[in-house]
Amino acid sequence: MSLKPRQVDFNATWGAIRDTIRGVITLDHVPRTTWNDRFSDVYSLCVAHPEPLADKLYAETKKYLIDHVAQLLRKVQEDGDQNLVKNYFHYWSQYSVGSEYLHSLYLYLNQQHIKVQKMSDAEIIYGIVDPSCTSQGDQMEIGELALQVWQSNMIYPLGQRLVTLLLEAIDLDRAGQPPTIPLDAVRGTILSFVEVQVYKKKSQLQLYVELFEGRFLNASGEHFKRDAALLLQERDVSLYMERVKAKIEEELYRARKFLHASSLQKVAHRCEQHMVAEHLQFLYSECQNMVKYEKKKDLSNMYDLLKSVPNALIVLVDTVFDHIKNQGLSAIHNLQGDSVHINFVENLLTVYEKYKELIKEVFKSDQNFMGALDKACNSVINHRPNEGRSPCRSPELLAKYCDTLLKKSSKGISESEVDEKLTKSIIIFKYIDDKDVFQKFYSRSLAKRLIHQQTQSMDAEEAMINRLKQACGYEFTSKLHRMFTDMSVSSDLNNKFQEFTKQEDIDLGINFGIYVLQAGAWPLGQAVVTPFALPQQLEKSVQMFETFYHNRFNGRKLTWLHHLCQAELKLGYLRKTYVVTVQTFQMAILLLFEKSDSLSCKEIRETLQLNSEQFKRHAISLVESKLLLSDTEELDENETNLRLNLDYSNKRTKFRITAAIQKETPHEVEQTINSVEEDRKMYLQAAIVRIMKSRKVLKHNLLIQEVYAQSKVSFVPSIQLIKKCIESLIDKQYIERTPYSSEEYSYVA
Amino acid sequence: MFTKVAMADENDNERMDGDNQKLEKMFTLKKWNAVAMWSWDVECDTCAICRVQVMDACLRCQAESKKDSYGKQDCVVVWGECNHSFHYCCMSLWVKQNNRCPLCQQEWSIQRMGK
Repeated sequence: MSLKPRQVDFNATWGAIRDTIRGVITLDHVPRTTWNDRFSDVYSLCVAHPEPLADKLYAETKKYLIDHVAQLLRKVQEDGDQNLVKNYFHYWSQYSVGSEYLHSLYLYLNQQHIKVQKMSDAEIIYGIVDPSCTSQGDQMEIGELALQVWQSNMIYPLGQRLVTLLLEAIDLDRAGQPPTIPLDAVRGTILSFVEVQVYKKKSQLQLYVELFEGRFLNASGEHFKRDAALLLQERDVSLYMERVKAKIEEELYRARKFLHASSLQKVAHRCEQHMVAEHLQFLYSECQNMVKYEKKKDLSNMYDLLKSVPNALIVLVDTVFDHIKNQGLSAIHNLQGDSVHINFVENLLTVYEKYKELIKEVFKSDQNFMGALDKACNSVINHRPNEGRSPCRSPELLAKYCDTLLKKSSKGISESEVDEKLTKSIIIFKYIDDKDVFQKFYSRSLAKRLIHQQTQSMDAEEAMINRLKQACGYEFTSKLHRMFTDMSVSSDLNNKFQEFTKQEDIDLGINFGIYVLQAGAWPLGQAVVTPFALPQQLEKSVQMFETFYHNRFNGRKLTWLHHLCQAELKLGYLRKTYVVTVQTFQMAILLLFEKSDSLSCKEIRETLQLNSEQFKRHAISLVESKLLLSDTEELDENETNLRLNLDYSNKRTKFRITAAIQKETPHEVEQTINSVEEDRKMYLQAAIVRIMKSRKVLKHNLLIQEVYAQSKVSFVPSIQLIKKCIESLIDKQYIERTPYSSEEYSYVA
Repeated sequence: MFTKVAMADENDNERMDGDNQKLEKMFTLKKWNAVAMWSWDVECDTCAICRVQVMDACLRCQAESKKDSYGKQDCVVVWGECNHSFHYCCMSLWVKQNNRCPLCQQEWSIQRMGK
């Protein structure tokens, strides 16, 4: 066959084509040869000479399709409403496949004649021209034409009746009754509303949405309302939630079975709206109890239902917050005994971990609930008992907890356990508002551990300081670091001093070691130096070391902290030889008994020049240890005589007498808290200077804000205190009020 | 008052010499672990210029909170011939305006520096 254009008899050729189309569109048998011939007939009509007959072919085909669909419409309606959907689906299945074949048969017409007239996809998608109005007069590809004809001549007249029947079928399915229309016909019919628009470039779902989905959702909504009302009669929230969850699942399953995928979310949304959002008060009514008794299943259901309703979670979140807060407060309420600090921290951690786990399990670690947990922990840990009148003890207790873990102790907990517990303590630490108070207590106990060589492991100490540094920054731990530095500087000094004594051939008569601490870095207090007459045995050591030290450093003076010194004393007057570790004051008291077996307290005090508090404290400790015997029940610093116990015996030949050195006295606690206030002022002043130096000029409110933000890492300052610090810096001429406004400051260089 | 007798860490190996040495002293001081505190040897422990304790870094140094200042070598104390003492940082700013001691108005000259 030639491809050359030639003269064609339209009527004859169209007649042949029409016969074949009939076969194609009804999926009748069409022999391959006939198909091939018609294929070239379409070609020859399109390129016919002298005049191409493509437009005529198109018009005739369209007319044929309209007639065909009109015929089908009659057939579909033949059996009445009862079989309407079934028949529609039957003919649609046939027609839609047939039209695809027809599309292929008209390949040449589609590609050469029609495509060229059409706009490119891009033009439609980016909307240069509105495609709906321009393509109306235009010719469509045959496949699209066929579907268009179906839409106008089948769906338009029949649509509403079909939808009514479809909705009835779906209702029947909901009621669990046997279908009167085959399910595949229901689904196929619904989807035909989408498929019939498959050629559209934009909004393919328009027909589906307008014709079917809208009515479906409204009908479903009514159904959900009725269902909800029915379920509500049982007045059981827990059961109601179970049912609603199941209902949503079921509806999603149904939607998957019948509808286009785009409808799934909308169905679920309708369901949530009518069954959850409209009955929030009912759901909330049980909220309190569910949280109180921690009914995980119910809470998890509640969460699932509420999370998709905007703002509905707030009530639940608040209830959870209150609950955690109450649990936390009761966990630390009325703690008593020696291990208050341990109970405090570990009870809080138990609460924290329990609810963190619960939130993870029940609320899928939802941010809202994690926030509630944080807020609750924060308010529990910073809670001030007695309606805010008593100070918050958390910083002190946590520091004590750390001390217990880091101190040498007989309790056998492994290093990794200690490490784990310290790591966890940081959880509590992060919630503490007054971190600076914690730091005070912590540094006091660290000082004691270091000076009295009570540290379990330097690695553990360092690791803990690094954790604190990570949480709060360098500044927070700088004093702790300085204490560490002093320890290593001191060990260096000891070595140098030993070399010095060897070189100079000095015999101190004792084994001498020293820690030289930097004043200010150690939280030892200023007023602790008490008068004391140094025993003669120590004088040489003190003198030699002072000489050595002053030669090495310029402008420094040394203060001997005798209350922190320790001595090892060998007792040679008993049946066995004992070595006892005592504090310097105790040692001095004991040494006096070398000359006499019995001494009066008055004598001892006068010789040593000890103040009465120090004397009593140490004398009592010696009496209690039975090294000395007292002739009165109560030790009186003027009346009592002390005797050396010559019958003393102990199972151990080496032991230690400690006079309350490691115990915090209430006085010390108070002192610590007071010193915090001074430090805060200093901290705030430094912050103000820092800010003003970089900003030069700043408004009052902005300055307060910045200071507040900077200090928040270590404590929450009162505005009053910030104002006071600004005033004092103005007095010291670091900053001044600008001449233009009293609400503005400038930096004085 | 809280006192306890705790076991020492190591066992002692000298437990028998009590019998052999009758002439032994009643008390022998074997070992002394001393603790001392150092501070600048100053008359007044507050710097009159910045009103911060001389043992602490001056306010400007604290404000800058230098990350590397483990010790405080960079904020030492300086003594004038008049024996008044200040933070070195504070004084070096002061003398730019007025080369007199802020406390006694004598001509300022450095007697020694802390080390």
